[in-house]
Amino acid sequence: MIHFFQVTKRYPGGQTALDRVSFEIARGQFVFLTGASGAGKTSLLRLIFREDVPNEGQILVNGRNVSSIPPSKIPYLRRTIGVVFQDFRLIPRKTVFENVTYLPRILGTDGKAQKKLAYTALRRVGLAHRGNAFPLELSGGEQQRVAIARALINEPEILIADEPTGNLDPDLSWEILRLFLEVNLRGTTVLLATHDRDMIQRVGRRVLTLDAGRLVNDQEIAGSDPPPLEAPPPTAETTAETAAETAEPETP
Amino acid sequence: MSLLKALQYFLREALVNLVRGWKVSLLAILTITVSLLVGGAFLLVSRNLLASVERWRGETRVVLYLQPAASPDVLRRLAAEAGRAPWVAAAEAVSAETARRRFQESFPSLSDLVEGLGDEPLPASIEVALRDPGRRPPELRAWLDTWRRRPEVSMVDDDLEWLRQIETVATLLRGVGIALAGGLLAAAIFTTASVIRLTAYLHHDEIAVLRLVGATEFYIRGPFYAEGFVQGLAGGAVASAALWAAYTLLRLRQPNSLVESLLAAQFLSSAQIAFLVLLGGAAGLTGAVMSLRREAL
Repeated sequence: MIHFFQVTKRYPGGQTALDRVSFEIARGQFVFLTGASGAGKTSLLRLIFREDVPNEGQILVNGRNVSSIPPSKIPYLRRTIGVVFQDFRLIPRKTVFENVTYLPRILGTDGKAQKKLAYTALRRVGLAHRGNAFPLELSGGEQQRVAIARALINEPEILIADEPTGNLDPDLSWEILRLFLEVNLRGTTVLLATHDRDMIQRVGRRVLTLDAGRLVNDQEIAGSDPPPLEAPPPTAETTAETAAETAEPETP
Repeated sequence: MSLLKALQYFLREALVNLVRGWKVSLLAILTITVSLLVGGAFLLVSRNLLASVERWRGETRVVLYLQPAASPDVLRRLAAEAGRAPWVAAAEAVSAETARRRFQESFPSLSDLVEGLGDEPLPASIEVALRDPGRRPPELRAWLDTWRRRPEVSMVDDDLEWLRQIETVATLLRGVGIALAGGLLAAAIFTTASVIRLTAYLHHDEIAVLRLVGATEFYIRGPFYAEGFVQGLAGGAVASAALWAAYTLLRLRQPNSLVESLLAAQFLSSAQIAFLVLLGGAAGLTGAVMSLRREAL
């Protein structure tokens, strides 16, 4: 699903963010990406959704060579990847419903189907009743859940999260992490960057550790206190819709 | 997303942006309005002047004024000679006496002025009516030059000469109008570009999200292009309306005056109005394209 081959990323100032990083993440895996601040976690994530390009090496995402796709094809790649940030990146002047339905709107989904998709996504994060609220009327945890709903609305194949719990207290962080784990249970590949080692130890899963741009550890760990999870399987209808909408048709 | 749906989305977003930032949008619309109003006014004046020239062109004629010493025989002979030219419909011999009488009939208050003089004060002339008064082919111009060189003729008065001068003035006016409107339009484009850039800046957070979830550049920039286009169309429409109001006011205030007949006999044609409005739209769109090209969204 995600392959890094000897990837190096250097910034114009000469700073090396990633140094010959190689790893492979299979479809459906849940992977933590950890390391101290400045270790290169964000740089690595940005390369996956083609926010940036590597100086050396190759990156394959879902079979596509991300570093060589033309700019006009980048949107189609991003439609298959959900991204969640530490700072939520919600638009304060738009309602929760409007924040969540950006992708369906881009795809030209009709209003009724948009509402249905939004309701489903918001229900998954427990906010189905807050569709008409504005982000600033919500708590930090709720805002992050809206951001997750936005990332999930089109059933992405990959979900990337960059310190999604960084701005939240421990209880809310745990709640958000559970959401990611449930999403993963439905088959979505999840790559979650965090420097919260306690959380990783508690949950377990595969952990990639970066240090000064180098991948210093890649191991599977058993969780000390993994949460009980429940998630329904994706419906055939939803999966078919997703496949049709994220293809590369005549979408402007 | 189909193109039609995309255009609907662009227009909807553009209108929302226009309403939200109505003050800066109004500034852009007004600058486009002023530039098109100036251009339109020059267009209107030159159109009316040229129409007057065209109208007068059909009524033009040529008058050959003879030397004061020319006898009635010379007058008759020359009139007969002029009448034989293929482009002449009629050549009327007007004696000095007839010329004086006509003057006194036309200007009764000035009749004393020519009465007391011993000799006939006005020269005899030949009034030449042309078969096609609006045209001066090279042969006709050469024929008139021949008359100018003849010793019996003191002057050849061709109405078309001053019509040509008015025509030149009208064309010059149109040129000045185009240059002036072009300069103002450039300023309007710059203003629109600044307004669109400001709007884009105010939406940079949303643009980042759109890009993140997989919106194409066309989808991201479309609303801003539509906004510039709508601003331009609005400016063109307001300019046309203001021009029509000024035109109507002039006709109401000075009906049947020289100014009205010369400059406001007719309004712009529907094609010209459409051109003004679309020119505004094009200016707005150009501003939007320029602003987004210079500014990395």
